[in-house]
Amino acid sequence: MWLTITRTFKEALHNFIRNGWLTVATVVVLIMSLYVVSTVYITTFIVNENLKNVQDKLSVSVYFKADTTEKTIEDAKDFFQKNSDVGDVVYVSKEQALENFKKYNANNEELMQSLEEIGENPLWPSLVVTANDSQKYEDIVGYVKSSPYREEISQINFDKTKDAIDKLNSIVKTTERTGITLIFIFSLIAVLITFNTIRVTIYAHKKEIGIMRLVGASNSYIRLPFIFEGFAYGLGSAIISMVILFLTLRFAPSFIFINVSGPISISSHDLLAFYWHNFFIILAIEAGMGIVLGVFSSLIAMRKYLKT
Amino acid sequence: MIKFENVSKIYKDDFHALQDINFEIQPGEFLIVVGPSGAGKSTLLKMIYAAEAPTAGEIYFDNVPLSSLSKSKLPEYRRNIGTVFQDFKLLSRKTAFENVAYALEVSGCPKEEIKEDVPQILEIVGLGEKLNKYPHELSAGEQQRVAIARALIHKPLVIVADEPTGNLDPVASIEILDLLLKINKLGTTVVLASHDKAVVDKAAKRVICLEKGAMTCDTPKGKYKLK
Repeated sequence: MWLTITRTFKEALHNFIRNGWLTVATVVVLIMSLYVVSTVYITTFIVNENLKNVQDKLSVSVYFKADTTEKTIEDAKDFFQKNSDVGDVVYVSKEQALENFKKYNANNEELMQSLEEIGENPLWPSLVVTANDSQKYEDIVGYVKSSPYREEISQINFDKTKDAIDKLNSIVKTTERTGITLIFIFSLIAVLITFNTIRVTIYAHKKEIGIMRLVGASNSYIRLPFIFEGFAYGLGSAIISMVILFLTLRFAPSFIFINVSGPISISSHDLLAFYWHNFFIILAIEAGMGIVLGVFSSLIAMRKYLKT
Repeated sequence: MIKFENVSKIYKDDFHALQDINFEIQPGEFLIVVGPSGAGKSTLLKMIYAAEAPTAGEIYFDNVPLSSLSKSKLPEYRRNIGTVFQDFKLLSRKTAFENVAYALEVSGCPKEEIKEDVPQILEIVGLGEKLNKYPHELSAGEQQRVAIARALIHKPLVIVADEPTGNLDPVASIEILDLLLKINKLGTTVVLASHDKAVVDKAAKRVICLEKGAMTCDTPKGKYKLK
Protein backbone atom coordinates (compact mmCIF):
# COMPACT_ATOMS: atom_id res chain seq x y z
CA MET A 1 0.00 0.00 0.00
CA TRP A 2 2.72 2.43 1.05
CA LEU A 3 4.74 1.45 -2.01
CA THR A 4 1.75 2.20 -4.24
CA ILE A 5 1.28 5.63 -2.68
CA THR A 6 4.92 6.68 -2.93
CA ARG A 7 5.16 5.36 -6.48
CA THR A 8 2.00 7.04 -7.71
CA PHE A 9 3.02 10.25 -5.93
CA LYS A 10 6.35 10.22 -7.75
CA GLU A 11 4.47 9.50 -10.97
CA ALA A 12 2.29 12.56 -10.35
CA LEU A 13 5.33 14.72 -9.71
CA HIS A 14 6.87 13.56 -12.98
CA ASN A 15 3.67 14.29 -14.88
CA PHE A 16 3.44 17.68 -13.25
CA ILE A 17 6.89 18.63 -14.50
CA ARG A 18 6.98 16.80 -17.83
CA ASN A 19 3.57 18.06 -18.94
CA GLY A 20 5.00 21.55 -19.15
CA TRP A 21 2.54 23.86 -20.84
CA LEU A 22 -0.49 21.81 -20.01
CA THR A 23 0.36 22.14 -16.33
CA VAL A 24 0.90 25.86 -16.69
CA ALA A 25 -2.42 26.34 -18.49
CA THR A 26 -4.37 24.35 -15.94
CA VAL A 27 -2.80 26.13 -13.00
CA VAL A 28 -3.32 29.56 -14.57
CA VAL A 29 -7.01 28.86 -15.15
CA LEU A 30 -7.40 27.68 -11.58
CA ILE A 31 -5.56 30.70 -10.22
CA MET A 32 -7.76 33.09 -12.19
CA SER A 33 -10.91 31.35 -11.04
CA LEU A 34 -9.90 31.42 -7.39
CA TYR A 35 -8.64 34.97 -7.67
CA VAL A 36 -11.80 36.37 -9.21
CA VAL A 37 -14.03 34.67 -6.67
CA SER A 38 -11.97 35.86 -3.73
CA THR A 39 -11.70 39.41 -5.06
CA VAL A 40 -15.44 39.66 -5.48
CA TYR A 41 -15.88 38.20 -2.02
CA ILE A 42 -13.53 40.68 -0.37
CA THR A 43 -14.92 43.68 -2.24
CA THR A 44 -18.47 42.83 -1.27
CA PHE A 45 -17.45 42.27 2.29
CA ILE A 46 -15.56 45.55 2.60
CA VAL A 47 -18.25 47.65 0.94
CA ASN A 48 -20.83 46.09 3.20
CA GLU A 49 -18.77 46.66 6.31
CA ASN A 50 -18.38 50.31 5.38
CA LEU A 51 -22.06 50.75 4.73
CA LYS A 52 -22.80 49.17 8.08
CA ASN A 53 -20.43 51.63 9.71
CA VAL A 54 -22.43 54.44 8.16
CA GLN A 55 -25.59 52.82 9.40
CA ASP A 56 -24.12 52.78 12.89
CA LYS A 57 -23.56 56.50 12.69
CA LEU A 58 -27.21 57.21 11.95
CA SER A 59 -29.27 58.72 14.72
CA VAL A 60 -32.49 60.64 15.39
CA SER A 61 -32.39 63.85 17.40
CA VAL A 62 -35.37 64.60 19.60
CA TYR A 63 -35.43 68.32 20.47
CA PHE A 64 -37.20 69.53 23.57
CA LYS A 65 -38.71 72.95 24.17
CA ALA A 66 -36.29 75.46 25.59
CA ASP A 67 -37.96 75.60 29.01
CA THR A 68 -38.05 71.85 29.60
CA THR A 69 -36.34 70.92 32.86
CA GLU A 70 -33.34 68.70 32.91
CA LYS A 71 -35.24 66.30 35.16
CA THR A 72 -38.00 65.82 32.59
CA ILE A 73 -35.47 65.15 29.87
CA GLU A 74 -33.65 62.61 32.03
CA ASP A 75 -37.00 60.88 32.64
CA ALA A 76 -37.70 60.88 28.92
CA LYS A 77 -34.28 59.41 28.29
CA ASP A 78 -35.00 56.52 30.68
CA PHE A 79 -38.38 56.05 29.03
CA PHE A 80 -36.92 55.86 25.51
CA GLN A 81 -34.25 53.50 26.68
CA LYS A 82 -36.94 51.00 27.64
CA ASN A 83 -37.80 50.40 24.00
CA SER A 84 -35.92 47.29 22.88
CA ASP A 85 -35.24 48.73 19.43
CA VAL A 86 -33.35 51.63 20.92
CA GLY A 87 -29.63 51.12 21.20
CA ASP A 88 -28.33 54.25 22.81
CA VAL A 89 -29.70 57.58 24.04
CA VAL A 90 -27.38 60.51 24.63
CA TYR A 91 -28.43 63.72 26.32
CA VAL A 92 -27.18 66.93 24.74
CA SER A 93 -27.90 69.96 26.95
CA LYS A 94 -28.50 73.47 25.67
CA GLU A 95 -24.98 74.45 26.70
CA GLN A 96 -23.47 71.44 25.05
CA ALA A 97 -25.43 72.14 21.88
CA LEU A 98 -24.21 75.72 21.83
CA GLU A 99 -20.63 74.64 22.26
CA ASN A 100 -20.96 72.15 19.42
CA PHE A 101 -22.56 74.75 17.26
CA LYS A 102 -19.75 77.21 17.92
CA LYS A 103 -17.15 74.61 17.20
CA TYR A 104 -18.67 73.63 13.84
CA ASN A 105 -19.23 77.20 12.75
CA ALA A 106 -16.11 78.83 14.11
CA ASN A 107 -15.15 80.02 10.65
CA ASN A 108 -18.50 81.52 9.85
CA GLU A 109 -18.11 85.05 11.22
CA GLU A 110 -21.56 86.25 10.24
CA LEU A 111 -23.20 83.45 12.11
CA MET A 112 -21.04 83.99 15.18
CA GLN A 113 -21.85 87.67 15.13
CA SER A 114 -25.60 87.16 14.97
CA LEU A 115 -25.30 84.63 17.76
CA GLU A 116 -23.66 87.26 19.93
CA GLU A 117 -26.37 89.76 19.07
CA ILE A 118 -29.09 87.44 20.30
CA GLY A 119 -27.31 87.41 23.62
CA GLU A 120 -28.88 84.21 24.97
CA ASN A 121 -28.63 80.57 23.98
CA PRO A 122 -31.20 80.00 21.23
CA LEU A 123 -30.64 76.24 21.01
CA TRP A 124 -32.80 73.43 22.31
CA PRO A 125 -31.72 70.59 24.49
CA SER A 126 -32.01 67.24 22.77
CA LEU A 127 -31.77 63.46 23.08
CA VAL A 128 -29.82 61.71 20.36
CA VAL A 129 -31.35 58.28 19.81
CA THR A 130 -29.53 55.48 18.01
CA ALA A 131 -31.35 52.33 16.89
CA ASN A 132 -30.03 48.79 17.06
CA ASP A 133 -31.22 48.28 13.51
CA SER A 134 -31.47 51.11 11.00
CA GLN A 135 -34.75 49.70 9.73
CA LYS A 136 -36.40 50.43 13.09
CA TYR A 137 -36.13 54.24 13.06
CA GLU A 138 -39.68 54.67 11.88
CA ASP A 139 -41.01 52.58 14.78
CA ILE A 140 -38.85 54.45 17.26
CA VAL A 141 -40.06 57.82 16.05
CA GLY A 142 -43.64 56.60 16.40
CA TYR A 143 -42.83 55.43 19.92
CA VAL A 144 -41.36 58.84 20.81
CA LYS A 145 -44.29 60.72 19.30
CA SER A 146 -46.82 58.75 21.33
CA SER A 147 -44.86 58.92 24.59
CA PRO A 148 -46.14 60.92 27.62
CA TYR A 149 -43.37 63.43 26.85
CA ARG A 150 -44.77 64.40 23.47
CA GLU A 151 -45.96 67.76 24.86
CA GLU A 152 -42.39 68.71 25.74
CA ILE A 153 -40.97 67.85 22.33
CA SER A 154 -40.56 70.68 19.90
CA GLN A 155 -39.14 68.84 16.92
CA ILE A 156 -37.86 65.50 15.73
CA ASN A 157 -35.37 65.69 12.88
CA PHE A 158 -36.30 62.25 11.56
CA ASP A 159 -38.38 63.37 8.61
CA LYS A 160 -35.38 65.07 7.06
CA THR A 161 -33.08 62.09 7.45
CA LYS A 162 -35.74 59.53 6.58
CA ASP A 163 -34.87 59.60 2.89
CA ALA A 164 -31.21 59.17 3.59
CA ILE A 165 -31.89 56.24 5.89
CA ASP A 166 -34.16 54.55 3.38
CA LYS A 167 -31.66 55.00 0.61
CA LEU A 168 -28.84 53.58 2.69
CA ASN A 169 -30.92 50.60 3.69
CA SER A 170 -31.67 49.80 0.10
CA ILE A 171 -28.01 50.23 -0.90
CA VAL A 172 -26.91 47.78 1.79
CA LYS A 173 -29.46 45.26 0.63
CA THR A 174 -28.53 45.71 -3.01
CA THR A 175 -24.80 45.28 -2.44
CA GLU A 176 -25.42 42.22 -0.34
CA ARG A 177 -27.59 40.68 -2.99
CA THR A 178 -25.32 41.71 -5.87
CA GLY A 179 -22.31 40.34 -4.02
CA ILE A 180 -23.90 36.98 -3.37
CA THR A 181 -25.13 36.74 -6.96
CA LEU A 182 -21.71 37.67 -8.34
CA ILE A 183 -19.93 35.17 -6.10
CA PHE A 184 -22.35 32.50 -7.20
CA ILE A 185 -21.99 33.28 -10.91
CA PHE A 186 -18.21 33.53 -10.79
CA SER A 187 -17.93 30.34 -8.78
CA LEU A 188 -20.03 28.54 -11.34
CA ILE A 189 -17.91 29.87 -14.20
CA ALA A 190 -14.76 28.94 -12.30
CA VAL A 191 -15.99 25.40 -11.72
CA LEU A 192 -16.96 24.90 -15.36
CA ILE A 193 -13.74 26.31 -16.78
CA THR A 194 -11.55 24.38 -14.40
CA PHE A 195 -13.43 21.16 -14.98
CA ASN A 196 -13.10 21.59 -18.71
CA THR A 197 -9.38 22.37 -18.55
CA ILE A 198 -8.67 19.31 -16.46
CA ARG A 199 -10.78 17.25 -18.82
CA VAL A 200 -8.59 18.37 -21.69
CA THR A 201 -5.49 17.56 -19.63
CA ILE A 202 -6.74 14.07 -19.00
CA TYR A 203 -7.86 13.63 -22.58
CA ALA A 204 -4.22 14.20 -23.50
CA HIS A 205 -3.44 11.19 -21.32
CA LYS A 206 -6.10 9.02 -22.93
CA LYS A 207 -3.61 6.91 -24.84
CA GLU A 208 -1.37 6.60 -21.82
CA ILE A 209 -4.21 5.39 -19.65
CA GLY A 210 -4.93 2.70 -22.24
CA ILE A 211 -1.29 1.58 -22.18
CA MET A 212 -1.20 1.53 -18.40
CA ARG A 213 -4.19 -0.77 -18.32
CA LEU A 214 -2.55 -2.92 -20.94
CA VAL A 215 0.53 -3.59 -18.85
CA GLY A 216 -1.61 -4.63 -15.93
CA ALA A 217 -2.05 -1.48 -13.84
CA SER A 218 -5.19 -1.54 -11.72
CA ASN A 219 -7.65 1.32 -12.03
CA SER A 220 -6.74 2.73 -8.65
CA TYR A 221 -3.05 2.66 -9.56
CA ILE A 222 -3.82 4.65 -12.70
CA ARG A 223 -6.14 7.02 -10.86
CA LEU A 224 -3.87 7.92 -7.93
CA PRO A 225 -1.27 10.01 -9.82
CA PHE A 226 -4.07 12.02 -11.40
CA ILE A 227 -5.64 12.62 -8.01
CA PHE A 228 -2.32 13.79 -6.60
CA GLU A 229 -1.94 15.99 -9.63
CA GLY A 230 -5.38 17.50 -9.13
CA PHE A 231 -4.47 18.06 -5.49
CA ALA A 232 -1.23 19.78 -6.45
CA TYR A 233 -3.03 21.97 -9.01
CA GLY A 234 -5.51 23.05 -6.34
CA LEU A 235 -3.02 23.74 -3.59
CA GLY A 236 -0.49 25.46 -5.84
CA SER A 237 -3.13 27.68 -7.42
CA ALA A 238 -4.54 28.64 -4.02
CA ILE A 239 -1.13 29.72 -2.78
CA ILE A 240 -0.28 31.70 -5.91
CA SER A 241 -3.67 33.39 -6.00
CA MET A 242 -3.20 34.38 -2.35
CA VAL A 243 0.01 36.13 -3.33
CA ILE A 244 -1.65 37.92 -6.24
CA LEU A 245 -4.55 38.88 -4.00
CA PHE A 246 -2.10 40.39 -1.54
CA LEU A 247 -0.45 42.43 -4.27
CA THR A 248 -3.83 43.61 -5.52
CA LEU A 249 -4.99 44.73 -2.10
CA ARG A 250 -1.67 46.38 -1.44
CA PHE A 251 -1.39 48.38 -4.65
CA ALA A 252 -4.72 48.50 -6.47
CA PRO A 253 -6.76 50.76 -4.14
CA SER A 254 -4.49 53.71 -4.83
CA PHE A 255 -5.29 53.31 -8.54
CA ILE A 256 -8.96 52.57 -8.29
CA PHE A 257 -10.33 54.58 -5.35
CA ILE A 258 -8.37 57.78 -5.71
CA ASN A 259 -11.08 60.11 -4.55
CA VAL A 260 -13.14 57.99 -2.28
CA SER A 261 -13.52 59.75 1.03
CA GLY A 262 -16.23 60.83 3.40
CA PRO A 263 -18.40 58.30 5.19
CA ILE A 264 -17.33 55.45 2.90
CA SER A 265 -13.63 55.03 2.52
CA ILE A 266 -11.65 52.08 1.33
CA SER A 267 -7.96 52.31 1.94
CA SER A 268 -5.21 49.89 1.21
CA HIS A 269 -4.58 49.80 4.92
CA ASP A 270 -8.11 48.56 5.69
CA LEU A 271 -7.96 45.96 2.95
CA LEU A 272 -4.63 44.63 4.08
CA ALA A 273 -5.84 44.53 7.67
CA PHE A 274 -8.80 42.53 6.47
CA TYR A 275 -6.51 40.27 4.42
CA TRP A 276 -4.17 39.46 7.30
CA HIS A 277 -6.96 39.14 9.79
CA ASN A 278 -8.71 36.58 7.61
CA PHE A 279 -5.59 35.11 6.01
CA PHE A 280 -6.11 31.54 7.10
CA ILE A 281 -9.82 31.56 6.40
CA ILE A 282 -9.30 32.86 2.87
CA LEU A 283 -6.43 30.44 2.29
CA ALA A 284 -8.48 27.53 3.61
CA ILE A 285 -11.44 28.42 1.42
CA GLU A 286 -9.25 28.85 -1.67
CA ALA A 287 -7.22 25.72 -1.07
CA GLY A 288 -10.35 23.75 -0.26
CA MET A 289 -12.08 24.97 -3.37
CA GLY A 290 -8.99 24.42 -5.53
CA ILE A 291 -8.34 20.93 -4.23
CA VAL A 292 -11.95 19.81 -4.44
CA LEU A 293 -12.16 21.23 -7.96
CA GLY A 294 -8.86 19.65 -9.02
CA VAL A 295 -9.50 16.23 -7.57
CA PHE A 296 -13.14 15.89 -8.52
CA SER A 297 -12.61 17.18 -12.05
CA SER A 298 -9.84 14.59 -12.47
CA LEU A 299 -11.99 11.79 -11.13
CA ILE A 300 -14.99 12.64 -13.28
CA ALA A 301 -12.89 13.22 -16.39
CA MET A 302 -11.12 9.87 -15.97
CA ARG A 303 -14.19 7.77 -15.40
CA LYS A 304 -14.77 7.42 -19.11
CA TYR A 305 -11.32 5.91 -19.78
CA LEU A 306 -11.39 3.44 -16.92
CA LYS A 307 -14.58 1.59 -17.80
CA THR A 308 -14.41 -2.22 -18.13
CA MET B 1 -2.44 -24.29 -22.73
CA ILE B 2 -4.77 -21.98 -24.64
CA LYS B 3 -7.88 -23.47 -26.15
CA PHE B 4 -10.52 -21.82 -28.35
CA GLU B 5 -13.78 -23.74 -28.34
CA ASN B 6 -16.49 -22.76 -30.85
CA VAL B 7 -15.56 -19.10 -30.42
CA SER B 8 -17.60 -16.49 -32.30
CA LYS B 9 -17.62 -12.74 -32.03
CA ILE B 10 -20.44 -10.62 -33.40
CA TYR B 11 -20.25 -6.83 -33.11
CA LYS B 12 -23.22 -4.54 -32.66
CA ASP B 13 -24.03 -4.01 -36.32
CA ASP B 14 -24.25 -7.72 -37.00
CA PHE B 15 -20.64 -7.87 -38.18
CA HIS B 16 -19.20 -11.35 -37.71
CA ALA B 17 -15.59 -10.73 -36.68
CA LEU B 18 -14.99 -14.38 -35.83
CA GLN B 19 -17.01 -17.48 -36.67
CA ASP B 20 -16.79 -20.77 -34.85
CA ILE B 21 -13.05 -20.83 -34.17
CA ASN B 22 -11.51 -24.02 -32.73
CA PHE B 23 -7.83 -24.60 -32.02
CA GLU B 24 -5.42 -25.28 -29.22
CA ILE B 25 -1.96 -23.93 -28.48
CA GLN B 26 0.57 -26.14 -26.69
CA PRO B 27 3.05 -24.72 -24.16
CA GLY B 28 6.22 -23.56 -25.87
CA GLU B 29 4.61 -23.40 -29.28
CA PHE B 30 5.15 -20.60 -31.84
CA LEU B 31 1.87 -19.88 -33.61
CA ILE B 32 1.41 -17.46 -36.49
CA VAL B 33 -2.02 -16.10 -37.39
CA VAL B 34 -2.18 -14.81 -40.96
CA GLY B 35 -4.91 -13.16 -42.99
CA PRO B 36 -5.78 -9.89 -44.73
CA SER B 37 -6.74 -6.86 -42.68
CA GLY B 38 -10.22 -7.18 -41.27
CA ALA B 39 -10.02 -10.96 -41.18
CA GLY B 40 -10.28 -11.01 -37.39
CA LYS B 41 -6.62 -11.48 -36.37
CA SER B 42 -6.63 -8.66 -33.83
CA THR B 43 -9.95 -9.76 -32.35
CA LEU B 44 -8.60 -13.27 -31.90
CA LEU B 45 -5.46 -11.97 -30.18
CA LYS B 46 -7.43 -9.60 -27.96
CA MET B 47 -9.47 -12.54 -26.74
CA ILE B 48 -6.30 -14.25 -25.55
CA TYR B 49 -5.43 -11.35 -23.24
CA ALA B 50 -9.09 -10.86 -22.33
CA ALA B 51 -9.56 -7.42 -23.84
CA GLU B 52 -12.53 -8.81 -25.75
CA ALA B 53 -15.00 -11.44 -24.68
CA PRO B 54 -16.47 -13.91 -27.18
CA THR B 55 -20.15 -13.62 -28.06
CA ALA B 56 -20.38 -17.40 -28.14
CA GLY B 57 -18.01 -20.22 -27.20
CA GLU B 58 -15.31 -20.32 -24.55
CA ILE B 59 -11.58 -19.71 -24.23
CA TYR B 60 -9.56 -21.70 -21.74
CA PHE B 61 -6.21 -20.78 -20.28
CA ASP B 62 -4.64 -23.78 -18.54
CA ASN B 63 -8.16 -25.27 -18.46
CA VAL B 64 -9.63 -22.21 -16.70
CA PRO B 65 -12.47 -20.62 -18.70
CA LEU B 66 -11.72 -16.90 -19.09
CA SER B 67 -15.40 -16.03 -18.65
CA SER B 68 -15.10 -17.21 -15.05
CA LEU B 69 -12.53 -14.52 -14.17
CA SER B 70 -13.94 -11.54 -12.29
CA LYS B 71 -13.15 -8.02 -13.43
CA SER B 72 -10.77 -7.45 -10.52
CA LYS B 73 -8.82 -10.61 -11.42
CA LEU B 74 -8.19 -9.50 -14.99
CA PRO B 75 -5.09 -7.31 -14.38
CA GLU B 76 -3.55 -10.28 -12.57
CA TYR B 77 -4.44 -12.66 -15.39
CA ARG B 78 -3.01 -10.30 -17.99
CA ARG B 79 0.37 -10.45 -16.31
CA ASN B 80 0.59 -14.03 -17.62
CA ILE B 81 0.56 -12.59 -21.10
CA GLY B 82 2.94 -10.10 -22.62
CA THR B 83 1.58 -7.99 -25.45
CA VAL B 84 3.38 -6.36 -28.36
CA PHE B 85 1.69 -4.11 -30.93
CA GLN B 86 2.26 -2.55 -34.31
CA ASP B 87 2.29 0.96 -32.77
CA PHE B 88 4.56 -0.09 -29.85
CA LYS B 89 2.30 1.59 -27.26
CA LEU B 90 5.15 3.10 -25.26
CA LEU B 91 4.61 5.87 -22.73
CA SER B 92 6.19 8.80 -24.55
CA ARG B 93 7.15 10.70 -21.41
CA LYS B 94 9.10 7.79 -19.98
CA THR B 95 12.54 6.51 -20.91
CA ALA B 96 13.13 2.96 -22.13
CA PHE B 97 14.05 1.95 -18.59
CA GLU B 98 10.98 3.65 -17.08
CA ASN B 99 8.65 2.12 -19.65
CA VAL B 100 9.74 -1.36 -18.74
CA ALA B 101 9.93 -0.57 -15.03
CA TYR B 102 6.36 0.75 -15.05
CA ALA B 103 5.01 -2.71 -15.81
CA LEU B 104 6.75 -3.98 -12.69
CA GLU B 105 5.85 -1.01 -10.52
CA VAL B 106 2.13 -1.48 -11.09
CA SER B 107 2.31 -4.97 -9.63
CA GLY B 108 4.08 -3.74 -6.49
CA CYS B 109 7.46 -5.20 -7.32
CA PRO B 110 10.21 -4.06 -4.92
CA LYS B 111 12.65 -1.42 -6.11
CA GLU B 112 15.76 -3.58 -5.88
CA GLU B 113 14.23 -6.18 -8.15
CA ILE B 114 13.29 -3.52 -10.70
CA LYS B 115 16.83 -2.15 -10.70
CA GLU B 116 18.19 -5.60 -11.34
CA ASP B 117 15.65 -7.03 -13.80
CA VAL B 118 15.02 -4.11 -16.12
CA PRO B 119 18.59 -3.55 -17.39
CA GLN B 120 18.93 -7.32 -17.76
CA ILE B 121 15.87 -7.65 -19.97
CA LEU B 122 16.86 -4.60 -22.03
CA GLU B 123 20.23 -6.25 -22.51
CA ILE B 124 18.49 -9.38 -23.84
CA VAL B 125 16.58 -7.38 -26.47
CA GLY B 126 19.79 -5.60 -27.43
CA LEU B 127 19.20 -2.18 -25.87
CA GLY B 128 21.66 -2.38 -23.01
CA GLU B 129 23.20 0.93 -24.04
CA LYS B 130 19.99 2.90 -24.50
CA LEU B 131 18.33 2.60 -21.11
CA ASN B 132 17.79 6.32 -20.65
CA LYS B 133 16.57 7.23 -24.13
CA TYR B 134 13.03 8.44 -24.64
CA PRO B 135 10.94 6.67 -27.31
CA HIS B 136 11.32 9.57 -29.76
CA GLU B 137 15.10 9.22 -29.52
CA LEU B 138 14.93 5.58 -30.65
CA SER B 139 14.41 4.04 -34.10
CA ALA B 140 11.16 2.18 -34.80
CA GLY B 141 12.91 -1.17 -34.46
CA GLU B 142 14.43 -0.12 -31.16
CA GLN B 143 11.07 1.11 -29.87
CA GLN B 144 9.60 -2.27 -30.68
CA ARG B 145 12.43 -3.90 -28.72
CA VAL B 146 11.50 -1.78 -25.71
CA ALA B 147 7.91 -2.95 -26.09
CA ILE B 148 9.07 -6.57 -26.26
CA ALA B 149 11.25 -6.06 -23.20
CA ARG B 150 8.22 -4.69 -21.37
CA ALA B 151 6.15 -7.67 -22.49
CA LEU B 152 8.83 -10.02 -21.16
CA ILE B 153 9.48 -8.37 -17.81
CA HIS B 154 6.78 -10.32 -15.97
CA LYS B 155 8.29 -13.55 -17.29
CA PRO B 156 4.97 -14.24 -18.98
CA LEU B 157 3.91 -17.67 -20.16
CA VAL B 158 2.73 -16.27 -23.49
CA ILE B 159 3.77 -13.38 -25.73
CA VAL B 160 1.00 -12.08 -27.96
CA ALA B 161 2.33 -9.94 -30.82
CA ASP B 162 -0.17 -8.16 -33.08
CA GLU B 163 1.56 -7.13 -36.34
CA PRO B 164 4.78 -6.23 -34.50
CA THR B 165 6.60 -5.64 -37.78
CA GLY B 166 3.84 -3.60 -39.44
CA ASN B 167 5.69 -0.30 -38.95
CA LEU B 168 9.19 -1.60 -39.59
CA ASP B 169 11.47 -1.87 -42.58
CA PRO B 170 12.35 -5.39 -43.86
CA VAL B 171 15.68 -5.60 -42.03
CA ALA B 172 14.23 -4.47 -38.70
CA SER B 173 11.27 -6.82 -39.27
CA ILE B 174 13.52 -9.84 -39.53
CA GLU B 175 15.47 -8.69 -36.46
CA ILE B 176 12.27 -8.52 -34.44
CA LEU B 177 11.24 -11.98 -35.70
CA ASP B 178 14.64 -13.35 -34.68
CA LEU B 179 14.12 -11.84 -31.25
CA LEU B 180 10.71 -13.50 -30.94
CA LEU B 181 12.15 -16.83 -32.09
CA LYS B 182 14.88 -16.48 -29.48
CA ILE B 183 12.31 -15.80 -26.78
CA ASN B 184 10.34 -18.82 -27.93
CA LYS B 185 13.43 -20.97 -27.77
CA LEU B 186 13.86 -19.92 -24.14
CA GLY B 187 10.46 -21.48 -23.45
CA THR B 188 7.87 -18.75 -23.87
CA THR B 189 4.82 -19.48 -26.00
CA VAL B 190 4.46 -16.95 -28.81
CA VAL B 191 1.32 -16.01 -30.75
CA LEU B 192 2.15 -13.75 -33.68
CA ALA B 193 -0.32 -12.11 -36.03
CA SER B 194 1.20 -10.96 -39.30
CA HIS B 195 0.56 -10.37 -42.95
CA ASP B 196 4.24 -9.89 -43.71
CA LYS B 197 5.09 -12.73 -46.11
CA ALA B 198 8.83 -12.52 -45.54
CA VAL B 199 8.38 -12.87 -41.78
CA VAL B 200 5.91 -15.75 -41.99
CA ASP B 201 8.00 -17.69 -44.48
CA LYS B 202 11.25 -17.18 -42.60
CA ALA B 203 9.72 -18.31 -39.31
CA ALA B 204 8.55 -21.62 -40.75
CA LYS B 205 6.23 -22.29 -37.80
CA ARG B 206 2.61 -23.41 -37.37
CA VAL B 207 0.26 -21.12 -39.33
CA ILE B 208 -3.43 -20.50 -38.83
CA CYS B 209 -5.21 -18.66 -41.66
CA LEU B 210 -8.19 -16.40 -41.07
CA GLU B 211 -10.48 -15.12 -43.80
CA LYS B 212 -13.58 -13.05 -43.09
CA GLY B 213 -13.61 -14.34 -39.54
CA ALA B 214 -13.42 -18.01 -40.44
CA MET B 215 -10.44 -20.34 -39.98
CA THR B 216 -9.38 -21.62 -43.39
CA CYS B 217 -6.13 -23.44 -42.64
CA ASP B 218 -4.00 -24.81 -39.79
CA THR B 219 -0.65 -26.09 -41.03
CA PRO B 220 2.51 -26.95 -39.12
CA LYS B 221 5.60 -25.25 -40.60
CA GLY B 222 3.33 -23.27 -42.90
CA LYS B 223 4.03 -20.68 -45.52
CA TYR B 224 2.13 -17.53 -46.27
CA LYS B 225 -0.27 -18.56 -49.00
CA LEU B 226 -3.32 -16.38 -49.29
CA LYS B 227 -4.94 -15.65 -52.58
